[in-house]
Order: sequence, then C-alpha cells, then structure tokens
Amino acid sequence: MALSNMPNSSDMTQTQSLQAKIKSEVEFYEPLSNTYDEALLPSGAKREHWSFALNSLKALGADNLTARESKTQRILRDDGVTYKSYTERERTWDLDTVPLIIDSDRWTQIEAGILQRSELFNRLFKDIYGSQELIRQGVIPPEAIFSHPSFLRSCFGIKQPSEHSLIFHGIDMIGTSDNNVCVIGDRTQAPSGPGYALENRTVMTRVFPSLFRESQVQRLAMFFQTLRVKLNSLSPDDHLPNIVVLTPGSSSESYFEHAYLANYLGYSLVQGRDLTVRNGQVWMKSLCGLSRVDVVLRRVDDFYCDPAELKSDSYLGVPGLLEVIRGGKVVLANPLGSGILESPVFLKYLSAISQALMGEQLLLPSVKTWWAQDPKDRDFIFDNISRLVIKPVYQKKGQKNILGSQLSEAELTDLREKIRQKPLKYVAQECISPSYAPTWQEQKFAPRPIVFTGFSVAGDESYSVMPGGLTRIGKNVDDQLVLNGQSILSKDTWVLSKEPVRHISLWSDKAKHDSMANDQEQNLSSRIVESMFWLGRYAIRAEYALRLLRTIFLQLNNANQLTDKSYQIILCTVTEVTETFPGFTLNDKKNNTATTLFKNPEAELTSVITDIKRTGSVASNLKEMLNCAEEVKSLLSADTQRVINDIRDDVNALEKTIKADFASAPEEALDPLVTSLLALSGLVNESMIRGYGWRFIEIGRDLERAYQTTKLINSLMSPVLTEHDEDTVLETVLLTLETLVTYRRRYRARTDVVNGLELTLLDETNPRSLSSLLKSLKEHIDVLPSRHQGRLLTIEKRLSLELLTKIQLARPITLCKMSKESDRRENLFKLMKKSQHLLNQLAVVLSDIYFDHTEIQHQVMAASWEDEL
Amino acid sequence: MKYRVRHITEYKYDSKVNSCYNRAHILPRETLTQNVDTPRVVILPTPTSGSRRTDYFGNRAYHFSIQEPHTSLTIDVSTYITVKPLGNINGNQLGYGNTCAQVLQALNYTVPSIETIYAREFLLNSPMVRTSLQLQRFAEDCFSPQKPFLTAVMDLTHKIYKEFEFDPSVTSISTPLDEVLAHKHGVCQDFAHLAIGCLRSLGYAARYISGYLETLPPPGQQRLVGADATHAWFSVFSPGEGWFEFDPTNDSVPTFQHIVTAWGRDYSDVSPLRGVVFGGGRHQKLIVSVDVARLVRKEDE
Repeated sequence: MALSNMPNSSDMTQTQSLQAKIKSEVEFYEPLSNTYDEALLPSGAKREHWSFALNSLKALGADNLTARESKTQRILRDDGVTYKSYTERERTWDLDTVPLIIDSDRWTQIEAGILQRSELFNRLFKDIYGSQELIRQGVIPPEAIFSHPSFLRSCFGIKQPSEHSLIFHGIDMIGTSDNNVCVIGDRTQAPSGPGYALENRTVMTRVFPSLFRESQVQRLAMFFQTLRVKLNSLSPDDHLPNIVVLTPGSSSESYFEHAYLANYLGYSLVQGRDLTVRNGQVWMKSLCGLSRVDVVLRRVDDFYCDPAELKSDSYLGVPGLLEVIRGGKVVLANPLGSGILESPVFLKYLSAISQALMGEQLLLPSVKTWWAQDPKDRDFIFDNISRLVIKPVYQKKGQKNILGSQLSEAELTDLREKIRQKPLKYVAQECISPSYAPTWQEQKFAPRPIVFTGFSVAGDESYSVMPGGLTRIGKNVDDQLVLNGQSILSKDTWVLSKEPVRHISLWSDKAKHDSMANDQEQNLSSRIVESMFWLGRYAIRAEYALRLLRTIFLQLNNANQLTDKSYQIILCTVTEVTETFPGFTLNDKKNNTATTLFKNPEAELTSVITDIKRTGSVASNLKEMLNCAEEVKSLLSADTQRVINDIRDDVNALEKTIKADFASAPEEALDPLVTSLLALSGLVNESMIRGYGWRFIEIGRDLERAYQTTKLINSLMSPVLTEHDEDTVLETVLLTLETLVTYRRRYRARTDVVNGLELTLLDETNPRSLSSLLKSLKEHIDVLPSRHQGRLLTIEKRLSLELLTKIQLARPITLCKMSKESDRRENLFKLMKKSQHLLNQLAVVLSDIYFDHTEIQHQVMAASWEDEL
Repeated sequence: MKYRVRHITEYKYDSKVNSCYNRAHILPRETLTQNVDTPRVVILPTPTSGSRRTDYFGNRAYHFSIQEPHTSLTIDVSTYITVKPLGNINGNQLGYGNTCAQVLQALNYTVPSIETIYAREFLLNSPMVRTSLQLQRFAEDCFSPQKPFLTAVMDLTHKIYKEFEFDPSVTSISTPLDEVLAHKHGVCQDFAHLAIGCLRSLGYAARYISGYLETLPPPGQQRLVGADATHAWFSVFSPGEGWFEFDPTNDSVPTFQHIVTAWGRDYSDVSPLRGVVFGGGRHQKLIVSVDVARLVRKEDE
C-alpha cells in the first residue's frame, strides 16, 4: 500500500469507495447486561479510547473485515503458529482482527499493579526456599508450602545469582470495572505467551498497517530487550553468556513459541538430550564438540529438569543439572522450584503476605479464594459450593476447574466428599465473570469473554512490564474455557500512549552480539544436525517414490504395450524401491496374495502412497520429514516454513485426492506434492547459509538419491529381458529420473541399455547420474569438521572416495554383459549391491561420528512413588 | 560408645555404563546423640566430580558423577561415630509426658512453636507413605486420649513386631503399604513406613530414619535383626518434648546400638543412592555389605 503513510490511509479511502458500491454496513451489538464491556458503555456508546479503532474498523465494512480476517489466518498459518492443547490435536493459533485497547490511564494502574505483584512473588519465592519467615511468623500455615507437590525440597537454600531471581512472571487477569481488574492466576514456571503476543502484534501491523500507525500503540520490543539484557547479566562470570532455550520438544503445546523466541532472541533451541553435565558445568553437544552453556531459558517444567534428583524417569531434563545450579555455574530462568508460586492457596493469604514481605497493600486484588484445609473456609465451601469454582491446588496438565453451578446434586455430594477426604488439595474461588470485548466473528461484531495475561521481566533494579500482553477470548458468548487459559483464540493488546511512540528495534544493540553471531552456526547441536540429515533423506525418499509411482501409473495405463513380464517387473520395482515388503514379489509363486495383488494392484499402490502407518509409504516418509522439519523449525526461513505447511496440507489430503483420481490419470494427484518437494529443495539451495546445517541436508539428499538410484537401476535394468520389455523398463527408469528427454535428444530413438546406463550412472553432465551424486556427496564429506588430525584419510572420506571411484571406473559394456548361468546382468547387479552396501556403511559412520547418541537412561532405582502426591 | 561403620555398596551391570549421575545418602549425619568424624569415601571408578552438601532435612548428601565406561560401581564408606546413649529415652520413661490428646491438640495450635511448625511437615502424605482408613483402623486400638503418647507409640511398635513377619525375600523397596498390611510381612523399611503411615493417619507427625545397627553385640546381648544391611526405623514428635525413636523390626527403643545416617519423610528422601545411568542394560546386581564394629579402648577393658 503505497499511500499508507498518508493520513486517512489507503485502507480507509479504498473501503469508503467500496462501501458506496457494496452495502455492507456493520453495526455494533448491545452490550450484555450485568457484564463489563471493555469497549462499550452500558448505553451502547463507545468508550473514548476505543472510538477511533472501532470507527475505522466499521468503516472498512463487512467484506473487507472478513478479507482481513482470512489474511490474518493465512499469515498465522504461513508462520506456522500453532498451539497444541491437551484435549485437541494441534491447531493453528487464531487471532481476532479487533484488538483489545487499553488507554494509558488504566494501563498506568495495571502496570503499577503488575510491578508490585512481581516484586512480591520474587520475595515470596525467596522466602519459601530461604528463611521461611512466612510460616515461622504464622502468616501462612506450614501446609501451604509443605503439602504442595511443586515445593521442591532439593531446591531449598540454593543461592540465587541476582536480587530478582524470578525472571519472568505472567499474570492472568479480568477487567471488572472501569478502574478495577481482578487477578485470577499467576504463571511463574515458564510463562508461555510473550512470543504469541509478539507474533499477534507482528500480524496486526501487517494486516492493519495504517490503523496501527495512527493509534499510538506502545511497542513491545523494549520488553524483549530488557529480557535479553537481564539474561546477559546472569552470566556466571564476566564473559557474554552462551544462552539456550530449553524446550520439551516439538510435541510440547507451545513449541511454536519456544522456536519463535529462540529465533527472535538469537539463542539456540535445545532439548534436554542436547545438553550434558561434565566437570560441574553444563555443555551443549554440538557438531564441533562441547560448548559451554551459561544461562538456560527454560520451558520445561520444574520437576522434569533433572532426572538424577527430581523426576527420575524424565527424558526432558539434564541429569546432574541441579548440582551445577547449586555450584552457581549455570543459571535457569525461571529458577527451579518457582512452580509452587502458582499455587492458588497463596491467593487466600496474599494481602497478608504482601504486608509481611513488603509492608504494602496489594494494588491488584486477586480472586477471592478459600482453602478447604482451613476449617472455616471448608464450611463456607460446603455451604456455597454450587456458586463457587473448585480448583485443585496442584493443577495437572489439561485438568479443568469445576464449576459448582454446573453440577447435579449427586455430583455436588461426591465433590464435597472428595474435598472432605483431601482438604489440602482443593481451593474454591468466587465465580467472576470475565469482561467482554468486541470481536469480529461470523461477519459481525459480537461480544466475547476475555482474559488478559500481562507479563513482566526482571530488569536491573525492578521489573519491566510488557506494554501489552496476551488476550485470550472465548469462542462463544458464554465460553468458560477461556478462564482455564485453554482458548487458542486471541487478540492483540494495544496499550495506547499519550505521546507519539518511538520505534525500537531489538537489534539496536548490535555491537554486543556480533561476537556471538559466528558461533551460533558452528554450534548446531548434534540433534539438529541429525534432523537435518534425515530431513534430506526422507524428502528424497518421498520424492523418488512419488516420481516412480507417477511413471508407473503412466505405464500401467498404456496397458497394451506392457507384456506380462514387464508389468510384473515394474510393479516389483515399486516394492523394492520403496521397501514396502511383502508387496509385489515374484519369487513366491505359491503365495496367493501376491498373485491377487498383481491382478488388482490399485489397493496396494494406494497403500504405498497413503498408508501413513506403513514404513516406506509416501505418506510415512513425508510424515517423518515433517517431524524432522519441526525439530529444526527455528533454522528454517519463513518461505521454507510455508512450503512445509503446504506439504503438511497435501499429506493430509493425499488419501482423498488419490481415491478421487484413481479412475483417471491418478498420476496427476501426485504432481502438487512433487512440486512442493522441489520447492523445498530449491529453497534449501537458494536461501540456506552454507553452514553445516545446509551441508547435512545436502548429504542426506545426495546419499539417499544415490541409494534410490541404485535400487531403481538394479530392480529394472539388471534382469535380462526381451528387447521390447527392455525398452519399457528403460523408459521407466529414464522417466523416473527425469532424463528421458535428454536421452531421446542424444540417442534418438535407439533405446539401448548401454546408453541408458551411461546416462544414468556415469554421465557427469547429468546432475542426476549416480557419479554426479557421489561426486557431490564426496565434496560435502571432505569439508566436514574432522576430529582426527592424522595424515590418513578418515573412514568416511575413504568410503565416499571408494563409492565414487567404483562408479567412475565402471564400463557400461561390461556392466551389460549377460551371464550364462543366470537371467540377470551379474556385473551390474554386483556393482549396485556393492554401492548400496557402501552407502549404508557411510550413513552408519556419519551417524557414529556426528550425531547424538544419547543412550537410554536408566534410574538407579525404579521410583514408582514419584507421581504427584 | 564409639563405632567404626563400614558400608560397601556395589553395583554390577549387564553391559557397559558410560556415565552416571548420582545422589547418595550414605554419610551419617550429626545428631544430638551422635558425633561423626569426617567419613572417608572411596568410589571406584573415581568420580569425575563429587561434592558434599547438607540437604533440606539436615542430612549429608553426596553427589557424584562418573564419565568413564564401567561395568561395576563400588562405593566404600568408613566412618567413626561416637554415640551418647543418654540422649534418648529408655523403656521406663515412656509412661510420662504428653498424653495422646495433648499431642494432637498442640500439633494443631493456630500459633504453634517453630519446632511444631516444622514437625507438621511430617504429618502430611509423602511420596511413599499415604494415610488411609485401613492404617488408621490397624493402629487406633493402641491410642486413646488419656494414654501417654509414647506408651501408645511403643504399643504400636510392639503390635507391628508381633503381627508382622520379617521376611526379606518377599518385598522390594517400593512395596505399597496396603500390600504390606495385607500380607503381614516385610522388611525394616516396610515396618518403618507402616508405623509412619499409621501415626500420620491418626494425626501424628512421624519421620523415617535410615541407619545401621551394631553388627556383633558384646557377649550376652542378642544380635539385632537387620544388622548386616542398612536398617530403618522411625521417630515421632511430641510437642514440647521433641522427637523419639522406635524400631518396629526389633520391638525396641533405639539406644546406643542404632546409628543414624539420615532422616526424611520416607525412604524416597534418603535412599542410599539415586540417580541416572547411561547404558548398563536392563539388569543390575546390587551387593551391600555393612559392618558396624564397637571400638573397645584399652582402658575400658
């Protein structure tokens, strides 16, 4: 939009003219009675700070707003923004096109409240794991701490490196009136959300550039800047620390955010097994050996971080980590043990705690909370249970709050009994209704319940609050899910500024980080490198299978040209190349299933394409490829991510498209996938830095290509056939390898196995010939970092040299010789088998040297009692 | 009384272990009645790193990791310990002091003493000991409001001793309490857990103690059960009076023949060794030997 820097920007003027043509006037809703609406007064009039945005949006008209809505969703999908809730499968994050707007006066209050609360929680953390004055002085009963499963006794007394050891704090709150908000919960372990908030902002500024610019919205970048300065300051010694983001892995609910933050902040994204403890330090296992880690931004829950001392069967942590923390050689943000601060029991005592620890009144009230352990509270809960929310003190993943009002009499009796038996484990809270805000849904503005999460990060002297945050909205007008923090529908949060907003970039402190930049590339973890390698291999496996099947569909549908023999050989090739045994097999004459398969190959062919559970199928190779891509997500460009998304969609739709197309030209259905895979390989080559990451993708691709080619040639060209059949199979090979056109141009109509072999095996001007592939493979392997300084060739270099030389020295005529004893070309057969053997050996050697070999960890003793109390 | 304790733990693995990370509770702690000289620890293969610290419960924890391949691990601890027999009570004193009702009342004061505040941690469920109605029922006939509390605990100790069979063959470390209760047999850990579970189910604070027994008592005294391995018993809290130890495996009140290693809520807090090994196959063999020798000084003879 070129005109967008003018006032009354293009998106406005454009729509005003559109509006004249299309009557798509949209109206606001009547505010719901008995609720607080963030945007509208009870009269229906707009609050002052909302009117500019709402009027602008309204002026866009329904069609335009809906178009922007789809644009928003497209961007989120392209960026791969996902959130996996425990009840549903992975879903794309959803962003409403109407932001939540908070004016600067109200924000000043909220900000002060968050600052105070974070300071308070920081002191609470220190008290719990230190002097425990709160229980000694009777401010809280000892059980509030001792009975909570997140009170980690092994973290008691750890000396924290800075005044503010609680680095992050997330606060869930609800607006209750013009001047008041109510806090409903705190997130203190690994608060998720800041990354989603940032992504929401990025999308909104793209979709509504002028509206955003004209609204004087405070920027978010400063928050991340503070975070970065803070993390740097945590360095155990004076040097600039090596900081990593520790994620549970790609199956974690907010994995998107882990990768996104790692990327945005420029840190390595690691999993527990990428790290190891040696000599009292934490190290990252990388391609070039071990590199020291000083600060860990953790997204793994407390209990899972160290199997040696905490949850002994956890695979998400690093054994020995706690002892390194105690020694002060690594710092975690947030510190281990901070999970207990999320206990709702503290809300009951929070005013008293604030008085005791800070001598201050709380600025932000918390939701009224009763703890069943307290006899008076228990009586109150029993008497009022039907109008309270019952919450477990320790919330397990996916566990929901119970609404008394939604239970039958019998269920209430059960619940009372449960509480009576384990009063320590339950709190009750008053049922506060969320506030409402306008949301663009189903082509109209509608009120939806919202919960706002604010974030703070520790700075030098005090906390800094993100001027904004994450606003989650309920799907329906009476959606209570939003209160559980499980909604994936969100809003960008606009905090208005009184003064014009200055733009800050995260990269303004360049000088400091230049020195780190180089290291990151060399510092790829072994796991990442391995995923890159397999990403390459699986992509090629899928691509070859697709090409082969495409060719075979073409050949099959030319039925009159195929003899029985060539028909069988071609189908057997499918099984051999994709390794989907038993499948089409010839030797086994007694096997009736095999005979039936040959008569009606469609079902088997479909299965080889679409059966995701079948190893070797196109779908399963693509699934594995997508898994690898997910592992290395933080290293892929936005364009690559988009192609990956396309492939994911194609895989999901594969079965349907194939079934629909089987009757006519089924090969067409495979084309889009082949195109996407080509786009992926193109992007890898065009846009990836020529570092080890790229090299390992290429090694994976070359190695797999070479392997597939030997299988294809062996299966189709080593059998001795009639001249007619030989033409057919050679054509199949050339079509699959996309060299038929070249072949025809070069050799005219003469189909001849010798020429075919020359072109596919030996011709180095053909980039798909085996010798070209092996040459490229050798070049990559020659420049890998070597751990041996000797003068002899390393084993991987020997193997790649042997492979290349064996092929280069081969003569097509000799290879084509038929032997008297057997019905195949023994020389060709042996050379292909030998090459396959060497390729396999090479893959094993590469894996031994460069990849991570975390062995299975065992517990010294099996601990079945560690489940939550 | 002076003792020399030698505790050797040996693990043998199926296949090579490449590295391991461990936390051990094998160094006896200082107590009111027990002075401990700095223990000597020899670990083979030699750990890459090792450190001692005082844990949450005041025990001596020892952390070590090994980064060289090995198929066996030996931890050899020798400690010289002086036990003051006067510190604890003897059987005759059990009839004095708080009644059961007084104990319950004092534990539940709204403004309890600091000692009681911290004792209340041992009233709660812990990883291996959960309170239950069955445990409460099993123990309740030993207790009544006016009965002296320690007498009642001794009765419970006696009841466990009488009704349960010591049988090291049938139980692993983590036998659930209801199983122990149903089958009426177990080892010292089980009996300690059982007693603790009963006491907590009735609202009393109890903690788990791991330690050793004198291996060969002087002539004329009986050799105690469980003397050739690590032993376990429990202690209870009586507000204003302190903690008192009982040994249900030997139906006794520990005096100078019991040496304390560590205490916690239950076994899981003080297990001799926990951690992670990389490699080592599925099976491991554990050999433990304990020798507690009384040192007789020349002038005593």
